[in-house]
Amino acid sequence: MVNFVILVMVGGGLGAMLREFVMLMVPNPVNGFPLDILAANLLAAFLLGLVTALHRRQILSDDVNMLLGVGIMGGMSTFSSFVYGSVVLMHASIASAVVASVYVVVSLALGYLAIIVGDKLGSRAHRPVPAAAGGAQ
Amino acid sequence: MTALDVLWVGLGGGLGSLLRWWVGRVVGERYRSDFPLGTFLINISGAVPMGYLSVLFAVDWHTRHGTVLTALCLTGIIGGYTTFSSMQMDAVKLAGARGQVRAASYLGLSVVAGLLAAALGGALALVRG
Repeated sequence: MVNFVILVMVGGGLGAMLREFVMLMVPNPVNGFPLDILAANLLAAFLLGLVTALHRRQILSDDVNMLLGVGIMGGMSTFSSFVYGSVVLMHASIASAVVASVYVVVSLALGYLAIIVGDKLGSRAHRPVPAAAGGAQ
Repeated sequence: MTALDVLWVGLGGGLGSLLRWWVGRVVGERYRSDFPLGTFLINISGAVPMGYLSVLFAVDWHTRHGTVLTALCLTGIIGGYTTFSSMQMDAVKLAGARGQVRAASYLGLSVVAGLLAAALGGALALVRG
């Protein structure tokens, strides 16, 4: 329990900082489309699909899943900035409202796809060969 | 955005994520259903203060507190608390269990409720004084 608290907190902190770095690296186009948030959310969704599949196959332990899936990917992705950014755009002008609608639909569709692609990749990945096979046991 | 601001984001993100995990657990223990109520409640309850504080910080506090509060509270705590990736994961699971119409309805409901919640938060900050 205490383990999980530490893993989620450390992971969430790292994830949020990663989101900040992604947002600093990805430029937003002039029409106001929030490409930076979209990039962070899609990356997090893809990695969450991957990690969840690897955890399901017990390639990743519960602890690692907690750190990566709940912590880092949960901290990297954000719903609140996604909807607030859309509200701001919708208020700005008719043209911006159109951009906001496209942003919402594209985010939902690509985010869903990103999970599926990550999951497919994690389901197919080869199980790592234990380094000390035939060892002390 | 300075290096120190990034650390504030990290601290806030850790706290927000912890809160997300805790709320998810509490809701999951009390409510058993296919509908991912935990993530839904987390995201909607995070959207209101995101709208409220964004407007408040932009209008009143920006010059007084600089970017620290934005980094800690908005990008960090609320950004780390709410989650887009878990929502999509829930939708994929829901599609497997109940079909794609249910999954699409869940995503649609989350976004519409989230947009309203963020707008409500922003409006509350504007009418406040």
